[in-house]
Amino acid sequence: MYGNLVMRPEDIENWGKKIEEEDPEKLAEFEARIERGEKIEPHDWMPFEYRRQLIRLIEQHAHSEIIGALPEGTWITRAPNFRRKLALMAKVQDEVGHAQLLYSAAETLGKSREAMINDLLSGKSKYSNIFNYPAKTWADTAIIAWLVDAGAIINQTTNSKGSYGPYVRALERICWEESFHLKYGYDSVVYLATGTERQRAMLQDALNRWWRPIMHFFGPPDHQSVHTEKLIRWKVKLATNDEMRQQFLDMYVPKIWELGLTIPDPILHKDPETGKWVYADPNWEEFWQVINGNGPCNRERLAVRRFAEENGRWVREALRPKNAHYVAPLA
Amino acid sequence: MLENLQTLILSLADDDLFIGHRHAEWIGLGPILEEDIAFASIAQDETGHAQAYYQILTDLGLPTPDEWAFRREPQAFRCAHLVELPNFDYDYAIALMRHFLYDAAEKVRLQALTHSTYEPLALLAKRLQSEEKYHWLHAKTWIERLGRSTEEAHHRLSAALKLLWPYAWALFEPLPNEPEMVEAGWIPSSKSLQEQWLALIEPILAPIGLWREPPSEAELTPCLGARHGVRSPYFDQLYAEFTEVSASEPDAEW
Amino acid sequence: MTSLDPRIRRAEPRLSQISQVQLSPLDQWPTYEVFVQRTRGSHVQHVGSLHAPDPDMALVLAKEQYARRSQCVALWVVPTASILWTSAEDEDLFQPATDKSYREPQGYLHTRERIEKYRHRLKPAS
Repeated sequence: MYGNLVMRPEDIENWGKKIEEEDPEKLAEFEARIERGEKIEPHDWMPFEYRRQLIRLIEQHAHSEIIGALPEGTWITRAPNFRRKLALMAKVQDEVGHAQLLYSAAETLGKSREAMINDLLSGKSKYSNIFNYPAKTWADTAIIAWLVDAGAIINQTTNSKGSYGPYVRALERICWEESFHLKYGYDSVVYLATGTERQRAMLQDALNRWWRPIMHFFGPPDHQSVHTEKLIRWKVKLATNDEMRQQFLDMYVPKIWELGLTIPDPILHKDPETGKWVYADPNWEEFWQVINGNGPCNRERLAVRRFAEENGRWVREALRPKNAHYVAPLA
Repeated sequence: MLENLQTLILSLADDDLFIGHRHAEWIGLGPILEEDIAFASIAQDETGHAQAYYQILTDLGLPTPDEWAFRREPQAFRCAHLVELPNFDYDYAIALMRHFLYDAAEKVRLQALTHSTYEPLALLAKRLQSEEKYHWLHAKTWIERLGRSTEEAHHRLSAALKLLWPYAWALFEPLPNEPEMVEAGWIPSSKSLQEQWLALIEPILAPIGLWREPPSEAELTPCLGARHGVRSPYFDQLYAEFTEVSASEPDAEW
Repeated sequence: MTSLDPRIRRAEPRLSQISQVQLSPLDQWPTYEVFVQRTRGSHVQHVGSLHAPDPDMALVLAKEQYARRSQCVALWVVPTASILWTSAEDEDLFQPATDKSYREPQGYLHTRERIEKYRHRLKPAS
């Protein structure tokens, strides 16, 4: 009736099973539950494919947060006044905090944090491509905090309607904290946009460099991406890449133009008939190159994480309790 | 009198400013996520404390906190060299030991300042105590544990303490015109604060085999002069980075 | 590789010398569950989990990860291993099998109706 299950792979009866091998009755019950809008919790029966997909999704999100702390973390020591310095410290702290929350959520599914970090450091697990670009100037931090966080919020708000309880709960808190990031980012952008000529130029240059990665942020176009009907039915994926990209453009292009900034896309406009934004092809070849390790910062990002983990090893080792055994978080 | 007040406030503010800055260098690079987060809060707190101290001067018609922090000549600063030191080789033992030695001094300083006859300072000190309470709890918890853990941890803490010891003592270098400040009841003497500081840290460091003799004169002398405007060899690079963006467009708003 | 990040440049040459890193089991410490009491008078609620080496450290670290922004008056931590919980298969334990409205306020809605019926019986036939 009760227990404190350790939740290792060997404790999970259907670990590794293909969807065709799953108990059809249990599968039907599971899907009916999702259909009713109920959440799946860690100790529910779930098809292994669901578990596997969710671990991958949440883990990638966690990795994106800890890697995402790096481009902006660069500028903390050089922030130009108290307000910005404090806000940037808090923002980057939040990213580390989000990584912690997300790893915890993924851990409820039976993968240890050590295993997830190992997969990040070996290059096996992916993280959001956008963080493989460098934050060259102070203005880059403003663009990132505004537009990249805006993209993240759209993603996270969409996913917060998903089926897995722990992930949904983590996302609720993350969305709430991200709203400060967005406000801070926009504030920073506005000060630059309404500042000196050099500040405006720095901002425009940053936008010019970040626009294409931002267009890649939601992933390849729908007709190019492999997306399974199953993930949508299981409420793991809740909107298509193009849908989220359109939402982003709708919300932010007018605001960018309002500041007198130009977007480096000669055909970008909203089609009055379809209500959809039309944009130039943002070079998907570059996206694939970067995601496969050839971006400007891929090597550095992982090298820094390897350094941080290795550098901290003696600390963690020193305090590790001798008789502990692993127990997965509960919720 | 205003000059003395300025010296006192700047010594407190400048210390907090740069220790917050040095702590902030660890954000995203900490030894484990949970500690990264905790240490980042401490960095923010110290930076915020600096701003609050400068504000006391601003309220008297003097420059704004941003101007105090971002627009001074090196010799106009009054921080101790301890806070100027870099995070040598990203050694977390140095980070923690500096944090421990510094926050012990803060605990003693703030407690004394709550009785200051200069009311704005007394009121601020009272407010800051709740955050400093956490800093001290954090520092003490870490040092007590690490000091009793592995040989490697002990060795690193010992080396860190050896490096930081004279700098920590120099936190209590008497301020210029200190006797006048003491006479006015603004703050007790640096010597008495140092005695309280030693009494606070000895019972923690001694049982874990980390207690040291007072630094020799030869060790201490290079660390002195800070409260009179003499900067450490690390200051120029520290401040160049600190002001890289603000100095690029000096009259801009960010 | 020269980074644009001065913090990263300062980590050289050691940073570039690290090629492979593998964390061993429990490198990241065991987990604790965290509970927060938002205001005096409210229930203490579960808010998440964290990794810590011991209970005191769990409290120190939980304070920042779970209470740095939200209003909070108290914090509890419990080793995850200490928690006992009901399994998902036993969710049906919480569903009553028969009508138990006798122990709910809404099981007593018909008293007015009874009074009216009685009054009606008392009226002389017209």
